This record gives sequence, C-alpha cells and structure tokens, in this order.
Amino acid sequence: MARYGMVMDMRTCVGCQACMAACTAENQTPFWNGKFRTHVEDKAQGTFPDVRRVLLPRLCMHCENTPCLSACPTGATFMTEDGIVKVNYDRCIGCYACCIACPYDARYAYDREDVNKEEELYGKFTSHKQPHVDKCTFCDHRVSEGREPACVSTCPTNTRIFGDLDDPNSEVHKLATSGKAQALNQSLGTSPKVYYIPS
Amino acid sequence: MTFVHQEVWHWQIATYLFLGGLGGATFAISALIHLFEGCDRKMLSVAVMSSIGFLVLGTVFLLADMLQPLKAIYALTNPRSWIFWGVIFINFYFVSAIAYVIPLLEVWPKINPYVQKIPRGILDLLERFNKLAALTGSAAGFLVAIYTGLLISAAPAISFWNTPALPLLFVISGFSTGAAFLLLLSTFSKNEESWKIIAKLEELDAMLIVTELIILGAYFNFALFLPTGARESAQVLFHSPLFIIGFFIFGLIVPLAIETYGIFFAKHTKKSGHLLVIASVMVLLGGYLLRYYVLKAGLFQFPW
Repeated sequence: MARYGMVMDMRTCVGCQACMAACTAENQTPFWNGKFRTHVEDKAQGTFPDVRRVLLPRLCMHCENTPCLSACPTGATFMTEDGIVKVNYDRCIGCYACCIACPYDARYAYDREDVNKEEELYGKFTSHKQPHVDKCTFCDHRVSEGREPACVSTCPTNTRIFGDLDDPNSEVHKLATSGKAQALNQSLGTSPKVYYIPS
Repeated sequence: MTFVHQEVWHWQIATYLFLGGLGGATFAISALIHLFEGCDRKMLSVAVMSSIGFLVLGTVFLLADMLQPLKAIYALTNPRSWIFWGVIFINFYFVSAIAYVIPLLEVWPKINPYVQKIPRGILDLLERFNKLAALTGSAAGFLVAIYTGLLISAAPAISFWNTPALPLLFVISGFSTGAAFLLLLSTFSKNEESWKIIAKLEELDAMLIVTELIILGAYFNFALFLPTGARESAQVLFHSPLFIIGFFIFGLIVPLAIETYGIFFAKHTKKSGHLLVIASVMVLLGGYLLRYYVLKAGLFQFPW
C-alpha cells in the first residue's frame, strides 16, 4: 500500500494562490465564507528596513499520529490504507473536537449556510449535502484514478510534490528523506506527512 | 511562531462545561452527605433533581452547538475520544441519579402518587439499593465533573489547555460550585437540621476554594514558565478585568473571606446567613467566568 505524502519546496512558492483556487473548484469548498482546504499564509518577517516576505502554503498534514482521529467521538474521522485522513460526512456530528485537536488549523465547519449557498451555486452537482466538518483529502478521488491532487497539478512553480513516501524511487520520498525537508511543529509528535524545504 | 485564538468553542461550550461540573459535583456532594451525615429527604431530592436539571440543560447547550445534533448517538463509537467517555459518564450519571432520586420523591405529597405508579417490586429494589445508587452516583458525578476538563485538555497545540492541571482545576472548581449551590439551597431551608449541613458545606467550600487557589498558582506558574502559547494565554487572562475582578476577586477571594468569617467569627450561626447567600452566588458566577475565560484564552501555537 502506498503512504501518500507531500513536499512543499518553499524556494519556489510565489504566493499566486492558484492552489487555493484549484482546490476550491475541485472540492467545492466555501470560498464565499473564506474557508479553504489549503491556504497560503503570507507574512512579513522582521522590522523595517530588514523586512522579508514569507509565504507558507498549508493544508491537512495527514499526520500518522492523528490527534483529530483520537478526538472524534463518532469515528467520522478515519485514515485510509494509503494514509489519507478523511471525514465520513454521514457520521460527522459537527462537535468540533477535531478542529480543536488539529495543531495545523486544517479543518473548518461546512455549516448549513454553506450547504445552502453551495446548492445555489452548483445545483445538482453539489458534493456537500449536509453540514459537517471539512478538510483536505489529498484529492483522493483523483489519486485513485492515478491523477495528482488539484493543488499539485495546478501549481505553476512545482512547489508541491506529491507521491508515495514509501516508494524509494519517488521524488517525494527522495526529498522527504534528503534531510532538507522538515515537518511543521514536530515537537507535538503528530508525525505529519507534509514536509517543507525552507526557502 | 504565531499564537491564534481558537474560534471554535465559545460561551455555549463554556456553559456546558460549567453545568457539567456543577451538576456532577452537586450530586456527588449530596449523595456523600447522605451517606456520611444523613440528610432530610426533601432537601436531598431538591438537590438531586436540580443536579439532573443542570446536566440536562448542559447537554442542550452542547447539542445546540453541534452541526448535526440529531446524529449525537454516533458519539458512542470511538473509545479513544474523551467525548465518547463523556457520553458514557453522563449516561451512567443519569441512570444512577434517577435510580437514586425516585425513592426520595415519595416525601412529596404531590409527586408521590406518580411515584406509586411504578411497580412495587421496582420501588422496593430502588429503596433497598438507595445507598449503592448514592455511591455509584457520586462516582459518576465526579467523572462528569473531571471529564469537562479532560475534554478540552486533549488539544496538543493549545498548550494552555494541554496540561494535567486543567482537569484538576475544573474538578475542584466544579465541586466548589456544587458545594456553593447546596449551600444556597440549604439557606432557604426552614428545617433547623439543615444548619448542621450548612456548617459542613461552608467548611467544604472554603477548603475547595483554598485548593483551587493552590492549583491556580501552580497552573499559572507553569504557564508563565516557558515562552509558549500557555504564557500568551496567561497574559490574555491577566489583562482581562472580568477574569481578575470577576472570577479571582469576587469569585474566589471574597467568598473565601465570607466563608472564613462564617466559620471562625459567626461560628456557623444564622448571623452569616445572608452573607452566605451572596458568597454562594459569587462562587457560581466565578465558576462560569473561569470556564468562559479559559476557553476564550485558548491559543493555538501555529508554526507560521
């Protein structure tokens, strides 16, 4: 079985936010309320005149040791055999325990207002038919067809590299084990499967 | 590293945590008083019925905050989740509390006819195992009260919550509010015997407040020790006038002073009766403010 993961090469991110747009279109996330499955943080670091702009694309880290999965009382949050953390919308009661447990702010509520708005926008092609807590799925519906997640295939600068972390021939494996890439907030012990090569 | 306020759990959950602690502790203390001190059944039934009421109301607040409250039964699926255990504890509590209170309701002439409709065999059984129900109920009450703290301590990135001090603080504060509520209830009793209970409750609440102060001291000492989100959270609380004045001064120090006066100077006489009512109300409001502000001061520690 594959163990999917992602490497973010921060040396190339230009903050174009194409990943956010691609994800929104692919997964019908409620952009109208500023809710995204992936988000590009855009921060200024330092004080004038020594100021630097820092960009940080983030999404669900699909942790191996998942605090959200432990926090979910209904078993709605689960991990697939490929290591992808998903939410079963039918089982989610929306208690927000997973949102509180997630150290990466990767989850948001797809509430009643969002469901109604989505129906208005997408008609019968809606993918979120009821309120639930939503998050990135590494576009597993695309991955199962042999395609890359929408954010990865859209990124114009190849910042996002997706693949099987256990496959020694994959680029993502080579980069993740190169020593250059680091996961965020490692001290929490959640073992994220998204790695960052600093700029 | 940035610190970001949690924007998920607000006053509804604070109310649930407060009512959970209050309901669990009210029942645990009433049942223990019954076991070790004996108590008049009218007072006891009012106390237990109120504690059930608190938990029902708390559950309503919890459900109202959910996206899909009608699916709440699914919460009994994942034993790794504290909410799973919360549901177990609350149900264990309801079963024990109802089994315990039914025989006590026979002392109310208006309610007794309804109680008598229950088959005699069941009533006899409930009467016979009344003390056992009191014992299991106080355990359930304790578990419900401590669960309120365990629930929010399971957030690895909110370092102010992710500490064993928090469940301890919540359970002690919960028992303090429970004792205060029972104190309040007892001051309205016309029964002379209830003054004996008031004396006990007054001492219990004073001891709980002192314990709470010690835990708070240790908790804030820990929070201020490292440059983490916990320190930022502590700073947020130190800069919240309602937390300092409302909770710390009027929710802990003033009631402790009143209870100390009641214990040592008024010698548990009715002289301090009105003051006790004020102290109890203050402890209850303080208990709510504590939960509200602890939730409000929950800061995520994000690496960006």
